[in-house]
Parts: sequence; structure tokens; C-alpha cells
Amino acid sequence: VVSFNIKDLHPHDVASILDQCGVAIRAGHHCAMPLMRVLGINGTCRASFYIYNTVDEINVLLEAIGEARRLRR
Amino acid sequence: MNFDMYQDNILDHYENPFHRGTLEHPTFEIRDLNPLCGDEVCIQARLDDEGRLASVRFEGKGCVISLAAASMLMEAVEGKTLDEVKKMGRQDMLDLLGVPLTTMRVKCAMLPLRALEKAIHRYEEQGTVPPQVT
Repeated sequence: VVSFNIKDLHPHDVASILDQCGVAIRAGHHCAMPLMRVLGINGTCRASFYIYNTVDEINVLLEAIGEARRLRR
Repeated sequence: MNFDMYQDNILDHYENPFHRGTLEHPTFEIRDLNPLCGDEVCIQARLDDEGRLASVRFEGKGCVISLAAASMLMEAVEGKTLDEVKKMGRQDMLDLLGVPLTTMRVKCAMLPLRALEKAIHRYEEQGTVPPQVT
């Protein structure tokens, strides 16, 4: 599992954009709201891999993250 | 790539929101949050002698959709009477945003309007009171 955030972008916005690129991630508090408060963030994005995932799919994820970053022009 | 939900006017409101800030002597104010996603909005309003919203301001933190919605709502309600604002519904807010939202994100869009409705309701029942978390 890889947790990450994009600067100045809410995790739910990142998840929406990735979703439109065909990538499903989890985003938000992950049932750990007190931890997020301590960390001073409003959530995280969380991507995970399984045995059926391919390298191509990981590249789609990376491109989608690039798209999300470009949103903060 | 073109993202329906994140069109330029939405991002403009997110990056350069209208009416973001605080008022020195608000007639009423409210702080409301969406615990599911952690979005938070504070709205302050001052009424003029005719009972119109002379100025409205918001502060908040949250996603692009909730902050753009707050900015667009502030712009739309300034100059309106409380009764006119109370008539605004879900569809009015979605029309202001003007972009297709997924079901999950409609809640983000509605946070500022719901907060303003609560604030008006409380003001009409109790008058000017210190803000409280709802």
C-alpha cells in the first residue's frame, strides 16, 4: 500500500481525477480521523497493488497523478 | 485531459475565491462541517436595514468542489433577502456550479448552502448568537 498526497489538492479531488483516468484508489481518513488531525492533513490518497496488476497499469496511475498535479496550474 | 468536474471556472473559484474572509460585525455566522470528508466552512453575513444580505464572507478548508461552491454561493446570495435564500435548493446550487458531479461529490457541493440555511434558521429563531459547531 502506498499512501501519498498531492500538494494543495484534497485527496477526494485526486481520487475523482484518478477515477476519470480509470484508476481506483481510496482517499480520505481511512477510519483514522484522529491520526489525520495529528498529522495536520485532511486525509491521504492510498493506492495498493495485487497479483493481477501489470506494469502498464502502474504507468496509467503515474500518468493520472501527473494529470492531477497539472490541475494546480 | 479534460475533466468535467474540474473545469476552468470551478478552478478559478477555488484558486481565487470571491468573498473569502471575515466580517468585523456579522449579523449572524455559522461554522459547519462534513465529518465524512473533513470539509469545513464558516460563513458570516451582515444584513442591511431592508433585511438583505449586505455582505457575506466565508472561510473554509476542503476539496475543490466545496470551496468553489462556497465562493459561487457567496457571489449569488449577496443582495438577496433571507426568504430568497431559503427558497434556494439543491438544484439551484448544482446549477451555479454547472458541472456534472458524481453522487459522492454532491455532498461537498451542498455543504455551504446547507450551512447558510442553518445559519438563517438559527438567526430567525434566536437572533444574533455566537457561532457554534453543528
